[in-house]
Amino acid sequence: MAIVTLENVTYKYPLTETPALQNINLQVEEGEFVAVIGPNGAGKSTLCYTLAGFVPHFFKGELTGRVEVAGMESSESALHEWVLNVGLAFQNPFNQISGAKYTVFEEIAFGLENIGVPREEMKVRVEEAMKLTGISDLADRSPYSLSGGQQQRVALTSILVMQPKVLVLDEPTSQLDPIGTREVFGVIRTMTERGMTVVMAEHKVEWIANFADRVIALYEGQILLDGTPRKVLTSDLLKEKGFGISRYTSVARKAKTLGLWTREQLPITLEEAAEGFALTPHPSPEGRGES
Amino acid sequence: MNITISNLHFTYPNGVQALHGISLTIQAGEQVGIVGQNGAGKTTLVRHLNGLLQPTAGEVKIGDWDTRKYSVAKLASRVGYVFQNADDQLFSRDVQTEVAFGPKNLGYPKEQVEALVSEALTLTELSEKRETNPYDLSPTWRKMVAIASVIAMNTPIIIFDEPTTGQDAANIARIANVIRVLRERRKTVITITHDIDFCAENFERVIAMAQGRILLDGNANEVLGQEDILATTYVDPPQLTRLGKRLGFEQTVRTEEEFLAALSQRTLG
Amino acid sequence: MSLDRSFFVPLESPLHRLNPLTKLTFAFAMIIPAFLSVPRLAPALVIPIFIAVFAGKVQKQYLNLSLKLILPAILFMFVMQSVFLPIGETVIFQLGRFDVTQEAMQTAFLTISRIFVMVSSFAILLLTTHPGELMSDLTRRGLPPQFAYVINSTLQILPQMQAKAQTILSAQRSRGLDTESTFLKRVGAVVPLVGPLVFGSLVEVEERAIAIEARGFTSTRPKTFLRDVPDTRTDKIIRWLLLVFVILSLGGRIWLS
Repeated sequence: MAIVTLENVTYKYPLTETPALQNINLQVEEGEFVAVIGPNGAGKSTLCYTLAGFVPHFFKGELTGRVEVAGMESSESALHEWVLNVGLAFQNPFNQISGAKYTVFEEIAFGLENIGVPREEMKVRVEEAMKLTGISDLADRSPYSLSGGQQQRVALTSILVMQPKVLVLDEPTSQLDPIGTREVFGVIRTMTERGMTVVMAEHKVEWIANFADRVIALYEGQILLDGTPRKVLTSDLLKEKGFGISRYTSVARKAKTLGLWTREQLPITLEEAAEGFALTPHPSPEGRGES
Repeated sequence: MNITISNLHFTYPNGVQALHGISLTIQAGEQVGIVGQNGAGKTTLVRHLNGLLQPTAGEVKIGDWDTRKYSVAKLASRVGYVFQNADDQLFSRDVQTEVAFGPKNLGYPKEQVEALVSEALTLTELSEKRETNPYDLSPTWRKMVAIASVIAMNTPIIIFDEPTTGQDAANIARIANVIRVLRERRKTVITITHDIDFCAENFERVIAMAQGRILLDGNANEVLGQEDILATTYVDPPQLTRLGKRLGFEQTVRTEEEFLAALSQRTLG
Repeated sequence: MSLDRSFFVPLESPLHRLNPLTKLTFAFAMIIPAFLSVPRLAPALVIPIFIAVFAGKVQKQYLNLSLKLILPAILFMFVMQSVFLPIGETVIFQLGRFDVTQEAMQTAFLTISRIFVMVSSFAILLLTTHPGELMSDLTRRGLPPQFAYVINSTLQILPQMQAKAQTILSAQRSRGLDTESTFLKRVGAVVPLVGPLVFGSLVEVEERAIAIEARGFTSTRPKTFLRDVPDTRTDKIIRWLLLVFVILSLGGRIWLS
């Protein structure tokens, strides 16, 4: 059952000439974990905003084509209805702290207050959400006293507590240090393991290779490739267009031309690379013949 | 122009001691990457180099200048500092005015300012955008404007604070190219970075810090091969280094060339 | 929970336990009579104010605030008015070519009493009420949520903006911006310091708007409240008593004149 359907979607921000998205056709099944890669400016954020309803309702501009997410049609549902079904988190953790609340617990409850959830239910949902994302110990802290990684986890929890059907993430670890990145990816993994539909724009290809079900490569507003991580991340097309790929893939590609990578398929993870390169023939101590 | 740091201690006004007796020398023209977890003292250390912070004890010398005796504005003639967030610097009506700000402050004559600006814009691929308002550019190009602004100051020493955060592969390549050109010009380049692969591929010396102290300082290959020590400051080794270890290479590799060379050697016996 | 931009003092006291509206009512119940009732009442209101300060156990912070802010301001005002008000005939002493009259000093005294009452009674409110609770309670009673949001977010984000301003200052100094020598140079430093702050803030504001939108801020459903701010019978009784006091004081004024 497709929970996201985009048909021939083209979108132009107000006062611009070039469409930010051109002829996007894509479907996402419930429970899928889709990673979106592409250079900055390719349209990753725009795609995220479109899935979350901010395009066109917040940004205005011209949207053509059909956008259907979690049973809502872009042309029919208002933004305040979209946010009930689609959660959005983005790069800058600090800007996602509302500023309206003085403790992490209240910050997470903020969304539930806005949509009129009864107090007792609110408390239960907030506590459960915090347990899920591992931030229960931060409950009484001021959101502004936290590290970037902690703030980002609070932002995620604040969205997850609203029980969206689809989670859209726009480069959630771009501004975090390695620890923060690890923490946030941990939360995302937990959600995907629980069957949440996740669409995430990311540069960190290594992690995507290990955990995404599907990768979409966006280039100049269009979908260049759409398939399994293996198929997309090893494609020569990515190399041509200057996408960032993992060193494992890149070095194996070079090694192949030198006859030092003998498999057909290029690796996308450390494991695959290690296994593949272990196969590279090297002479045993005894036989050092004519070859 | 060498950088000499002698037994540097620094305590913030709120009482937190951020640096415990750092001593090190950076020769002119060295390319140094500084890694370590947040709070290790990397930024604190580097801010002593242009006088933004003054030692609580110990000494920092840029060439023959003791940083305690010169203002930040004066030290800016020797040490350029590219801040992490480009938006914290940009204010001019167009790119060329923005880039000219630094050299003008340093007192270069008009013709030289123009030459420095044009040169910096060429290096950062901004020549066609010189008359654009910086805020009309995407964050990717705003980053390049910030970098150009500091290069145009033509300082012998340049510091980059987390230059690759949030950047895509194309821009990281541009930044790596800028660093390569700076190396050719024998500038001293010091970078703080979390991107260990970027560090491995562009810097021959790596300093790992933790809790206000230096854990490791030396040749990049040596430092990056010490997985266990790096792990204590939450630094993962570069991808290729890890792969090399898995394959049992004797030496530590950190670039594709080194990896392939080591692989061929092993293959050919 | 550090709130270094608000005055709130986290303590346990009878005043802390009162509903914010009650304390707000107290403030107005001091201010309205101070300004509109008989002149003799204004300085006398210092008594209920001091009682409230001690009831709230915030005497230390109140003293601090008074010494640093309130007293210097009203002292200055007293001197200004006493010297420069061109009223009265009973000259007490002369200051240069100005006559300081008894009537002027009496008027000055009345003015500063009123100001003192006004500032102090709001100070009591702010010292004993958490800003979040104050906003939450007022919102429940009908204050537009946008208003409460502006107050709360400003209190919290202002320190962050200060930090950002510091970073911008460091970045521009590192480009040779001279902020230490001549006055003219310091004036020229304004644009490079304010520019990034303003532009950066615009970007932040848009993102924050998206973030709170994503949390249903513009939802049309009736809002609920996590925190229960109790409004007890005691609160209601106190508010009624305060109302009676205001009416009596105004009535007294009319009756006496």
